[in-house]
Amino acid sequence: MSDHWRWQYWPLRTKLLLLTVSISTLGILLVCTSLVVVENRTYEAQLESELHVIADILAEQSAAALLFEDSQQIKTIISSLNQIETIEQVCVYNVSGDVMSALNGTGYEPCPSLDVEPEVGFVGDYYRLLEPVTLDGDIVGQFYLMSRLEVLREHIWTFIVISFSVGVGIQVLLIWVASRLQRLISEPIVELSSAADRISHEHDYSIRVPVYGKDELGSLGSAFNEMIGTIQQQNRKILQSKDDLERTVAERTSELSLANRELEAFSFSVSHDLRQPLRAIEGFGQALEEDCRDQLDNTGLDYLARIRAATVRMGSLIDGMLVLSRVSRQAMEIDRVDLSAMLAEIVEELQDTTDTVPSEVTIQPDMQVVGDERMLRIAFQNLLENAWKYTSKNEKRVIDVSACEERNSITIALKDNGVGFDMKYVDKLFVAFNRLHTPAQFSGTGLGLATVDRVVRRHFGRVFAESPIDSGACFYVEFPRPERGAESGLQQQATRQNRREYG
Amino acid sequence: MHVAGGCPQVFLKFLIAVLLWSTLGTAYGSVRSEYEVKAAFLYNFTRLITWSEPSEEGARLTICVFGRDPFGGVLQELNGRVSQGRALELDYPASLEEIDRCQVLFVGAGKARDLAEITDYAHARQILTISEIPDFVEEGGIIGYVKEGNVIRFEINLLSAQQAGLQINSRLLELALRVIR
Repeated sequence: MSDHWRWQYWPLRTKLLLLTVSISTLGILLVCTSLVVVENRTYEAQLESELHVIADILAEQSAAALLFEDSQQIKTIISSLNQIETIEQVCVYNVSGDVMSALNGTGYEPCPSLDVEPEVGFVGDYYRLLEPVTLDGDIVGQFYLMSRLEVLREHIWTFIVISFSVGVGIQVLLIWVASRLQRLISEPIVELSSAADRISHEHDYSIRVPVYGKDELGSLGSAFNEMIGTIQQQNRKILQSKDDLERTVAERTSELSLANRELEAFSFSVSHDLRQPLRAIEGFGQALEEDCRDQLDNTGLDYLARIRAATVRMGSLIDGMLVLSRVSRQAMEIDRVDLSAMLAEIVEELQDTTDTVPSEVTIQPDMQVVGDERMLRIAFQNLLENAWKYTSKNEKRVIDVSACEERNSITIALKDNGVGFDMKYVDKLFVAFNRLHTPAQFSGTGLGLATVDRVVRRHFGRVFAESPIDSGACFYVEFPRPERGAESGLQQQATRQNRREYG
Repeated sequence: MHVAGGCPQVFLKFLIAVLLWSTLGTAYGSVRSEYEVKAAFLYNFTRLITWSEPSEEGARLTICVFGRDPFGGVLQELNGRVSQGRALELDYPASLEEIDRCQVLFVGAGKARDLAEITDYAHARQILTISEIPDFVEEGGIIGYVKEGNVIRFEINLLSAQQAGLQINSRLLELALRVIR
């Protein structure tokens, strides 16, 4: 509330009015003050000259009486001053400085001694004058007069009251005039400001402000109108192109999802259909090996074994493709997943089924992520299988899984002490059918990491890897972590995604 | 003085006061001698009276004492003083014929019998006549000293002055005890 009393919150018209009023107040004050000062001076000068004239006349009149030291006569002469009420004291001195005659007003005060020069002029509440009485150029005595300044003071007070009343009157008139005139400037600005406000709140670009005159305000108004016109035009264009774009995007999306669906259906059916002949090849290969073993020489048997191995590899390729296709197509069921427990299960399975290399697996407890449990299991199974596979030639297997939580994300790091990979090819790591090792070194389909990437992407995360030379590989899986309503947020995203892809 | 015996301190104060009074007194008219006052008046008269007969530049203003001089040397102080731009000069004419050069004529008390002759002669030559002879102004003199108690005042016969062609400042007339018009 107190903020609104601060200058920056004041409306423009108040500021303008205040500015005008303060300037005029200053001007009127200065004029009044200088008038009072001038009037005071003038009145003082007038009073001084009047008193001097009186003193001159009386001095001239009393010159002869002074010569003859006739104090009675002097008293008669100066007693005429009794009629002037403001005269406090009159003293007439002879040539040797002795008081010849004196006239005292209300307060009795002895005539000042002339041994020291008495104060003259305006001092305190009195005006004092001392002038010589001369006759033919000879000084025959001194005339001293002291006058009260009540009249002067009263006059000046009256003058001050009148001039300041007039000043206040003028000021009131000026305020009235200023409050009318300030509209000339403030009104266009206020209109401009409210128009700008309305435009920014209502987004109504059809609003125009009236243009007043040809001055800066006028040009401001017309510039504003032009600007809003341009914005309106551009806005229309943008809206139009946005509509076009959305339509195009919708068309493309539907085309794309149709194509995707066809492609996935194709890939699924191809994979599925490929199994049939493959099973036939495998079955007949086996039959050939078992039933016609005697008719084949070593070379034939070797070829047969190669054919069977190739069919096994192809089978697993098809399985991989089906999995990849499934994780891409499957609708997501979002829930909170205890990643630590899931990883422990996977490790247990791996330890049961594979080689006998001593393993030391560390899994950070209580790692929680939000996602589709089945998909996440596929992804982490792939990652752990990889770790297992590439450490199978070690004397000892060391795998470490840990999580690093940040405000908006959680990153799971899987670190192994296996053979690692060449960082040169890190870009190809997550692309399907790309392998960095030959099947002779390590078996594989080249689809595992592509599947991982696909799963993580569907969770709006990312996966990346690094391999410091001779110290294994480290895979990082980063999931976004919406702060509130994590499940529902991801659920919504997933639902949207599902709808877009299959809708 | 009877207080003195009872209280020496009061007496001392009184003595100091008397001493102060007497020293200051020399400057005051009231304790000046009668002829000192009269001499000062004489000088002041010359300052307030105008001779219509134009006198040449730098001419002296001659004050003459006709008859016995009662001033006793006090007038000598006027010698050389300046009045209305003219230096004062004292003279003591022996006969009436010698007063032609005077502008101011003080008529001594001894000349009371020849007063009419003297004033007529003097006024014809525009000479200001002053005297302490009683009723001097009534006898045709222009200014006469009058003693009123201890105070010296003066009377003026304006008619005689006008006859003599002398202009008397109105301020002087105001101060006169009596003016014969």
